[in-house]
Amino acid sequence: MGPKEKLPAHRVRTVILPAFRKVGLVPLFQQWSSSRPLWICLSRLGSLHLIVRGPRFLGEGSVIWGNYVRIHPYPARARRNRTRSAPIPGGIQRIVNLTLENASSFTALLELPATQAVELLHLSQSEEGTQAPPSGDIFQGIGDDHKPYLPSFDGNLTFPSNRALIEAAAKFSVFAAGENSPETSSVPSNSSANLGKVKSEPAETDSNPNSSQPLVPDPTVENKTQRSAKRKEQRKRAKGLRRRARTRALKKLRKLPYRHSELVAARREKINARMKLLQELVPGCSKVRLCLLDYAAFNNGFVPVTFSQKRCFCGKISGTALVLDEIINHVQSLQRQVEFLSMRLAAVNPRIDFNLDSLFATEGGPLVDSNFPSMASLSTVSRNPIQWNREQYQQQCPFDALHQPFWGREEDNHTFHFSRELPFES
Amino acid sequence: MAPSISHLNLENSERKKRRKTGDELRDPNTETRWKSESQQRIYSTKLVEALRHVRQNSLPTSKSPSGREIRHAADRVLAVAAKGRTRWSRAILASRLSLRLANSRKHRKAKPGKVTGCSRLKRPEKKRSLPAVQKKVKVLGRLVPGCRKVSFPNLLEEATDYIAALEMQVRAMTALTELLTGAPVDRLGPSSDL
Repeated sequence: MGPKEKLPAHRVRTVILPAFRKVGLVPLFQQWSSSRPLWICLSRLGSLHLIVRGPRFLGEGSVIWGNYVRIHPYPARARRNRTRSAPIPGGIQRIVNLTLENASSFTALLELPATQAVELLHLSQSEEGTQAPPSGDIFQGIGDDHKPYLPSFDGNLTFPSNRALIEAAAKFSVFAAGENSPETSSVPSNSSANLGKVKSEPAETDSNPNSSQPLVPDPTVENKTQRSAKRKEQRKRAKGLRRRARTRALKKLRKLPYRHSELVAARREKINARMKLLQELVPGCSKVRLCLLDYAAFNNGFVPVTFSQKRCFCGKISGTALVLDEIINHVQSLQRQVEFLSMRLAAVNPRIDFNLDSLFATEGGPLVDSNFPSMASLSTVSRNPIQWNREQYQQQCPFDALHQPFWGREEDNHTFHFSRELPFES
Repeated sequence: MAPSISHLNLENSERKKRRKTGDELRDPNTETRWKSESQQRIYSTKLVEALRHVRQNSLPTSKSPSGREIRHAADRVLAVAAKGRTRWSRAILASRLSLRLANSRKHRKAKPGKVTGCSRLKRPEKKRSLPAVQKKVKVLGRLVPGCRKVSFPNLLEEATDYIAALEMQVRAMTALTELLTGAPVDRLGPSSDL
């Protein structure tokens, strides 16, 4: 992926940073100089997160919004133990050290607890008017001077406004750019390579308590890029509209869960639930069903990429393909039965008119009783009226003599049927 | 509203519509819906009425109604019994007239058409998504009326409802033919009565 153009500042202000704040992150620093914009953000819990733009890292982090991926700050072990502390792992430090020259300033920052980091924000905010110090000085001075700012942080942490942040970040970035300019060519390649390496570590981690379920590994990165590209296109198209249509379109886009893994998980849940229902309906699917369910439990809801050929731990090959086969066969057999029955009904049809009329007359109610088998009992009642109807039939009939054989046959069947009837009724 | 929809992906608007139909389907459970006694009673009475109408319609031409017409009538009655909540029922009801008129012509063309369709599917084997599952999904889409371009989860829902409805239809028609012909109907093969 070649170097991308820098994000325009107004877009950052109006779109990106509000998105971060929605998630609960306060951007602390912005890295503009490299080809890939980079943010270090502070979450409400006090942990630091690294936000990187770009679909390349989609498989290794969780999408915050659009293309912006949060690289999980916690190493695998800590997250599995579900510790809620806010450790600043070495991973982030390394990343940060790579991208920015001034390593010392960052380590100073990273060792600070949350409140002090926020103070840092305010400090930078206040100092912007007075001086334009290099970033190192801003942060080195913190440790000494945090006293006057303590009272403001008695209650909740207050987050500064956007513009102050931007200006601080801009200043910082200017500084960083100034420092890094001779090495911009090498740094991006290095940083991206190393970022890639470092991110391969948290790739297998479980999710943050805040964020959603783990993502699918690499084979589906393509699909995700396609989907994010699709959303980008939608957004572009939405921007081409006029104001009201645009806001409506953007609202629709925002309603979608912007975390990709949530989308995928929700979709899979829907599909699995419906498959379960179908399998109960279709006979001969129970074995396959058990396998599928066990598989889901076994993986703790992990989303399989290819949902056709998966082996569950009982060893059978089960999956959607077989179940679909069964379903298709069942539907086809049912449709065939309907056709066959309709053909029979067509043959029987001449009797319907008078027979039903007679039945309605005798019964004085709907033809069908509550149970279908009890319908057969009606025919015993109708046996006598039928003979009466025969005369009627012969009087009325516009039918040809063709139908007489049917009638004859019916009578034979009827006598036949009476003997068969009793076991059927019982 | 119209320009925004036209600009947006068609999927988005369709997704909204599908969500609504999905919510409606889930609440009355499909199994109990098509297995309840009242539903069976409603269906059978309507079926009898429809059959009588078919019979009367075909009387002036003095030919016995073909199996196809009866089948279409039965499907229509089934769709009416579904009260239009499902996609397949609406498709059946909507295609009523056109199917009837063009069916005789289409039926002759359909068979050779199906053969070429199958061979067409066999040639491009390797596609991006797994062809096995996608093929089956398409086949299922073709089987369930009106569900060719429906997304997979909705297709599954439609198929569930359709299977339940078909089973009820088979039961009703079996009972009706048993009643009328007076012989227990053999399901799998053609009976000897005819």
